[in-house]
Amino acid sequence: MSKEQDAAHAVDVTTSEKVVELLNQAALISTEEKLTVLKQVQELIINKDPSLLDNFLDEMIAFQTDKSMEVRKFVIGFIEEACKRDNELLLRLVANLNMLLRDESVNVVKKAILTLTQLYKVTLQWMVRSKVVTEMQEACWNMLTQMKEGVLALLDSENDGVRTHAIKFTESLIISLSPRTSDSDVPKRQEADISLDKIPKDHSYIRYDVLCEEGKSALEQLLMFMVHPAISSINLTTALGSLATLAPNLPPTLAKSQVSSVRKNLKIHLVAVLKHPCSLDYQAQIGTLLLDLGMAQSEITRATPVPREPRKRPR
Amino acid sequence: MPSHPLRVAVVCSSNQNRSMEAHNILSKRGFDVRSFGTGSHVKLPGPAPDKPNVYDFKTSYEQMYNDLVRKDKELYTQNGILHMLDRNKRIKTRPERFQSCKDHFDLVVTCEERVYDQVLEDLSSREQETLQSVHVINVDIQDNHEEATLGAFLICEMCQCIQHTDDMENEIDELLQEFEDKSNRPFLHTVCFY
Repeated sequence: MSKEQDAAHAVDVTTSEKVVELLNQAALISTEEKLTVLKQVQELIINKDPSLLDNFLDEMIAFQTDKSMEVRKFVIGFIEEACKRDNELLLRLVANLNMLLRDESVNVVKKAILTLTQLYKVTLQWMVRSKVVTEMQEACWNMLTQMKEGVLALLDSENDGVRTHAIKFTESLIISLSPRTSDSDVPKRQEADISLDKIPKDHSYIRYDVLCEEGKSALEQLLMFMVHPAISSINLTTALGSLATLAPNLPPTLAKSQVSSVRKNLKIHLVAVLKHPCSLDYQAQIGTLLLDLGMAQSEITRATPVPREPRKRPR
Repeated sequence: MPSHPLRVAVVCSSNQNRSMEAHNILSKRGFDVRSFGTGSHVKLPGPAPDKPNVYDFKTSYEQMYNDLVRKDKELYTQNGILHMLDRNKRIKTRPERFQSCKDHFDLVVTCEERVYDQVLEDLSSREQETLQSVHVINVDIQDNHEEATLGAFLICEMCQCIQHTDDMENEIDELLQEFEDKSNRPFLHTVCFY
């Protein structure tokens, strides 16, 4: 063994030993200290030396039954990071996330929804990349699909915060299950994310048409609850339709200040839609809505883009 | 009750009077608080209404203090500006602009509608990443010393109530309405996502 290999080996041993020591500590200390220690372990086995991740996975996941909800929330964050680092771990960890999604604490449930939002995309991408899908992967995808349905059902949750998180999940889901077009507004960080157009129509397991239907159904469910200028033209059309109904018909149960908060929000979103080149066909309707919401005509004109040359169709 | 202290941002226009008064009181009560302004510049009253003292956000409270002492010590002592700057520099070095801060909060409290609009505009123009929610509440406070003090106590009481809810997001709506009735001012409220 050369000196360098020797040195590298020595580092490995100490990192591993360090992790064992930290995990032993974590079993015995208060919540706040435990979180600090567990964060150190996470850093060591995910970033410093990912080869240790597999070894210590069970020990880390064991904290999902900790009595502190902050520790359980931490475990969810760990699951997310671990699966992003090594997609194969999804096979083992999706079931754990599923349990945490049914936790008794709403704060844990909300954190689980946020993580599912990220891992749904990661899993789909991983499935699509696999030319041959194993039975284990099929089981993993089935469970994830069930979890997705579960969160969509949470749009009806009694808890306001859970509903908010379910709405954001649905929004992200619809974006993943919609084809990206050249007009789509894709945030830089999400450029590499999966979307329907990247799913091959002849994939051995993942069915394009099924996902497409799931996306549409999610949109329908979302429209009953919220209005968001989405990125694809289907979303845009339907969301505008429902915006048009919603804007002048805010529920009479809202207090006056709540009405002004909602109207203000609608205005911001509508202006964002209006500024998008895709709004061309709807400029008149959006303009009317904005006038109803109290925006000055001159402001509306300023936010309206100049029509561009129609694109030439490729022959 | 959330197990971590609420991360609160209080925001006014210049990060001098209203937000700093609230910053002061909230940090004394143990909140994890920061304060900001949304203006493009920091403005302080000058010798006439049309002659404000204008600084950029890089200028420290200490530098502003020294500048005003040099310009007209008597005037700025009399109108309380030097006193305010002296208080501010004990809290932090310089004013901060909300739009330049990329840290995440649980709650952002603004002190006037225009500032609320600017905060929403900034938050909705950022790329969403974690989808973590942040509640934004506007409480109208006039920009003078007395109103800033009253407003700061109101904000503090509100934050304490929010901190003590079992489930903030589920209860915040009702809680704010109670506060509206009690304080007899309208609040604006929305949720944004990081």
